[in-house]
Amino acid sequence: MEFFLEIILNLVGLLVGLVIGTISYIGFKNTASPTLFRLSIAFFAIGIGFGILAAGFILDDFIFKTGDINRGISTLGVATQVVGYWFIAFSHTIRTFFPKSRYFRSIGAIPLFLVSFNYVENILRAVSFILLVYGAIETMLSYIQGRKKSTLFVAVGLGLLGFGEFIGWYSFVFPETVLYVTSIIVKIAGLISVGIPVSKIPLRKISFDENL
Amino acid sequence: MAEHRTQMKIVGEILDTATQEIDEYEGTTITHIIRNANISHGRLSRILNNLVSQGLLEQVTSKRSYRYKTSPSGREFLAAYKTFREFSDDFGLTI
Repeated sequence: MEFFLEIILNLVGLLVGLVIGTISYIGFKNTASPTLFRLSIAFFAIGIGFGILAAGFILDDFIFKTGDINRGISTLGVATQVVGYWFIAFSHTIRTFFPKSRYFRSIGAIPLFLVSFNYVENILRAVSFILLVYGAIETMLSYIQGRKKSTLFVAVGLGLLGFGEFIGWYSFVFPETVLYVTSIIVKIAGLISVGIPVSKIPLRKISFDENL
Repeated sequence: MAEHRTQMKIVGEILDTATQEIDEYEGTTITHIIRNANISHGRLSRILNNLVSQGLLEQVTSKRSYRYKTSPSGREFLAAYKTFREFSDDFGLTI
């Protein structure tokens, strides 16, 4: 059941990432906007990251049959996603997030290593969580300024992805509970929420508007 | 606090203004663009030269002064700009 949900989650992530990435790239080609270029890199990376994870789960399900995804593949998938989340956060000017003082910066870095020193994958997941929370907060602030519903969907989506990651950590502490499945379902809901605004964008060539 | 406008946003506002026809003449005056796009004359001149050289704006010679109107490719750019401005707004970002 969990394996099946993981495959669904990662395929949804692949789809949402590639669709938003493609639309952003079309926007970049039409307007040469650096924001849209960063957004396209971000969502292509997120989509490819989910795709790598999906491939890992599918390979294990049909070929290796070990009952768990290959650690190397999952680390590669998570690392690719982190690149995407970083680009989203960077678009919101990430430098305003980190404290300027070297002392506070070192304090801020400690929990990452305390929580997950053993696995590179867990460190990357911790970084993902921070970037997602940052992206969600910044997008929520934009919603408060503009009161645009679709911005709220993106903010909630990023927040749910971060929350899903957070619940996923607890499933390490309490294995064999409903937490792991919950985290996957929350992440799927987050991806769908992020993808909602895209439904308004036509995937055809931008044509000249006679009313302009 | 005044909102920071990106170069892209300023270009969008200039093209948008230059699509309007303010009187019987073709195109829009520099004064009208300055008022609508809220930009200094010096900076506007540089951007106008750039937009004309890229073919997004057309310079029309009027009686005593130059007027500017958005070219067909400028209108296409403007349509794309408006679509993707909405899209980037959805992500809380400025195009």
